[in-house]
Amino acid sequence: MDSGRRIFGLGLFAAVGLAGVPRQLWAQGARPGPDDVMKTWYRLVLELVRHTATYTPPVASRAFAYLGVTAFEVVAQGDAGLRSLAGQVNGLAPLPKAVAEVDQAAVLHAAMTRAVAHLFGNTGPTGQRAMAALSRSLGAEVAEGLSGDILAASEVQGDAIAAHILAWADADGGAIVRNMGFPMTYEKSVDPEKWVPTSAIVQQQAPLLPEWGQNRTFAMPGGASCGLPPPPAYSEDPASEFFLQAKEVFDIKANLTPEQRAVARFWSDDPMLSPTPPGHWISIAFQVLDRDKAPLAQRAEVLAVLGITLADAFIACWHTKFEYDLLRPVTYIRRTMDPKWESIMTTPPFPEYPSGHSTQSAAAAVVLTALIGENVAFEDATHVDDGLPPRPFASFHAAAEEAGISRLYGGIHFRAAIERGLEQGRCVGAFATALQTRV
Amino acid sequence: MKFVCAVAAMIVAASFGPANAQDAPLIPTFVDETEAAGVDSTYAGEWEYIVGGGVATFDCNADGMTDMLLAGGAAPATFYANVGAVGQELKFEARASGLEMDAISGTYPVDIDSDGITDIVLLRVGENVVMRGLGDCKFARANEDWGFDGGDAWSAAFAATWETGADWPTLAVGNYIDRTQEAFPWGSCTDNWLHRGAAGGFAPPVALKPSYCALSMLFTDWNRSGTPSLRVSNDREYYKGGQEQLWHLRPGEEPVAYTADEGWKPLKIWGMGIASTDVTGDGYPDYYLTSMADNKLQTIATPPAEGQALPATFTDVAFARKAIAQRPYIGTDLNPSTAWHAQFEDVNNDGFADLFVAKGNVWAMPDFALLDPNNLMLQNPDGSFTEAGDKAGVASTRASRGAALADFNMDGLPDLVVVNRGEKAQLWRNATVGGGGWIGYRLEQAGVNRQGIGAFVEVRAAGRVQTREITSGGGHASGQSGWWHVGLGPEASAEIRVTWPGGKAGEWEPLAAGAFYTLSPDQPAAVWSAP
Repeated sequence: MDSGRRIFGLGLFAAVGLAGVPRQLWAQGARPGPDDVMKTWYRLVLELVRHTATYTPPVASRAFAYLGVTAFEVVAQGDAGLRSLAGQVNGLAPLPKAVAEVDQAAVLHAAMTRAVAHLFGNTGPTGQRAMAALSRSLGAEVAEGLSGDILAASEVQGDAIAAHILAWADADGGAIVRNMGFPMTYEKSVDPEKWVPTSAIVQQQAPLLPEWGQNRTFAMPGGASCGLPPPPAYSEDPASEFFLQAKEVFDIKANLTPEQRAVARFWSDDPMLSPTPPGHWISIAFQVLDRDKAPLAQRAEVLAVLGITLADAFIACWHTKFEYDLLRPVTYIRRTMDPKWESIMTTPPFPEYPSGHSTQSAAAAVVLTALIGENVAFEDATHVDDGLPPRPFASFHAAAEEAGISRLYGGIHFRAAIERGLEQGRCVGAFATALQTRV
Repeated sequence: MKFVCAVAAMIVAASFGPANAQDAPLIPTFVDETEAAGVDSTYAGEWEYIVGGGVATFDCNADGMTDMLLAGGAAPATFYANVGAVGQELKFEARASGLEMDAISGTYPVDIDSDGITDIVLLRVGENVVMRGLGDCKFARANEDWGFDGGDAWSAAFAATWETGADWPTLAVGNYIDRTQEAFPWGSCTDNWLHRGAAGGFAPPVALKPSYCALSMLFTDWNRSGTPSLRVSNDREYYKGGQEQLWHLRPGEEPVAYTADEGWKPLKIWGMGIASTDVTGDGYPDYYLTSMADNKLQTIATPPAEGQALPATFTDVAFARKAIAQRPYIGTDLNPSTAWHAQFEDVNNDGFADLFVAKGNVWAMPDFALLDPNNLMLQNPDGSFTEAGDKAGVASTRASRGAALADFNMDGLPDLVVVNRGEKAQLWRNATVGGGGWIGYRLEQAGVNRQGIGAFVEVRAAGRVQTREITSGGGHASGQSGWWHVGLGPEASAEIRVTWPGGKAGEWEPLAAGAFYTLSPDQPAAVWSAP
């Protein structure tokens, strides 16, 4: 790997754009380096996540994990200070080595071209056109000045790494998603505490991805590795803990402040209308890494470990969700307090406990804190293109806490699901930070 | 000679069936006559033609028979003159009309210059063109004469209205994404345009900001205020921070979007088409919004109260009324559906408006049905809908886009034409036997807005009132003018009343079923007969 070919012409960033990723990535006329390639592809991936119908949050987290590992393994092969994740994450065998001189940017471009095309193979014609256009245009810039032999060897190597990762991915249980993740048939429980559909959309009369918790995990041993105690016992007694937690949701909506509404909206991260909750954390990572002008090795390890923990978080969370199969606040409140009550946010079509955003946000905060630092303040501009102003945070954990409580403000979770979700996320994150990315 | 006899009550008077309110709806019968009728048109093209694919139906030679223009996408559009006969099999003839332009995505008929001859709006990937009707189904470009700036965009939505006091229509054009963007097209929705009248033509268009990649627009007086608003259905695939929209359009004022304070609630769908009629019977239009994996049937949420402003809040009742049509109902491909044109018409004349939805994959999207049958949902007496597309014979699985239900052979039964992307358009004759009574009517007034766009027509029969707002726009890239149709069930007559644009209501007037009428202000309805 000829690391000397890398050009770090990154001093000309334009304003933060789509999902927080800068639009102008390298100096005009300069050849893009590996980090430029990485960021450009991730910018597209954040759009594809938003615009591919199967990309609900769990599915998105999976893609971020495999893409992160792909990018990391490419970078690690050219950096003696980095240690491959093969043999550390579940099921990943040692990756193929280059047999000739290669260029890191070209290898990464080839790997991302293949991996993105595979993971987003079901995206629509506009996404297909975008992938082809980026592959073509960025590929031409990456090839600028490279000898034919090096370019060809780089493309072979990038393709081989992606193929290795994708073969690993295809066996994890989450590769095929049908009907946008909703089972064609579903038998609802008649128990009063169990989840029932809350949507007037036919497809959502079954819960999203009920088997997702059985998928192969990455850094944690299995989906049950960060299990949770049961939620408060179901009761319609006004003195019960369950009722009181529901009453809290009811009362918060009745007295919702503009700030609480803004928090709920900011972390809403709806599929098809945003990069989803895992994409939101990928966006945060890019914003902070760019601001700090982080070196390539750190960018690669953050993307890999963050992607891994986000994916593990959704597996753990979904495992617990379908273990307890708890009803949503809207169902309970209509039953016991107000038959016409509606949540501020759209209630997601799957069981309530624990809160997925809480789990994955806490896991992300653990990883980013470990890899970037404690009490790293930042401003999150992920949703500026959607008209939402940036929000400042004192630390990654502070952001995760706000992401969690946003679900209470939005009326879609009880407090227990948020607090326990955050606990679960911290557990998940610890498995990821135990991975060894440095020699 | 198309007309074998004058159109009058004798056409199908003897065939009025039972159609009792308690009965299950009569399954209509549609016969595919595409080839026999001489229709051979394909909406073709690459990425710039994944949306669009419209058809306009109109009478351009004053013979009463409905002619049509089918968009061809990258290929030229095809004009078909209706050369069939009343009550007979459908027959069309492709003729040179001046409309045979390429890059057409959608097409709408409207008498822009109020000369009594239908003009045609051509929505294009490129410059939009208004075509002046010259008579005898000939058309000529009128952009320059009328001051119409056709711009250069990817246009796919249209609506027209006559604002109070205006002698020239206001045209709304909906534009899609910036087609020059390849790797990052998302968030590049281009401005929609409002073309308002000026002296003898149009003023420069005004951008409707914000714009969110409109695929259907409809001027509609949703609250019966006398001033239509502009409803816009937008494709969430491409906008950032967008939603469905409803605009105030007050004469002489800038358009202003409805707000949360007025009751408007954000709705974010893959909006592709708008159909409207009064399904609930409250006298207010209801709206069917097509999308992917989910369609909406919106009705006013708050019952109207005397003297109080109506909140602009709508409730989705598609699920409750079984009108979602979210996935194929035949075949083995049960992935979610992709819905485009929608239209309410009473295809079996039982007195309840039915709902046709054109379906078709965007372009090789495996997460959605690749064989996606069109829907024909029959309205039951209780207001719910029952799917009958397969039994009726219109469950085509081609990649449908625009469509029109129009009575091409004037037998009182709406026929059907559907434009398909990458495959031939299809034409069905409605050959239903045993349906109920019907009335065909068209509006005609002196001065401007000759076709009475914006009027409300009420038909009272069998103890019910059916209300239709006369509109120009909506659907998916497809528009209609000319005859309007209403089914009457077992009734042999009905009363009809027109509230004309401006709010003047005519008198209730009894009409015999089974005939076509011309309705004009302050005049008795005139039975229409062939020239």
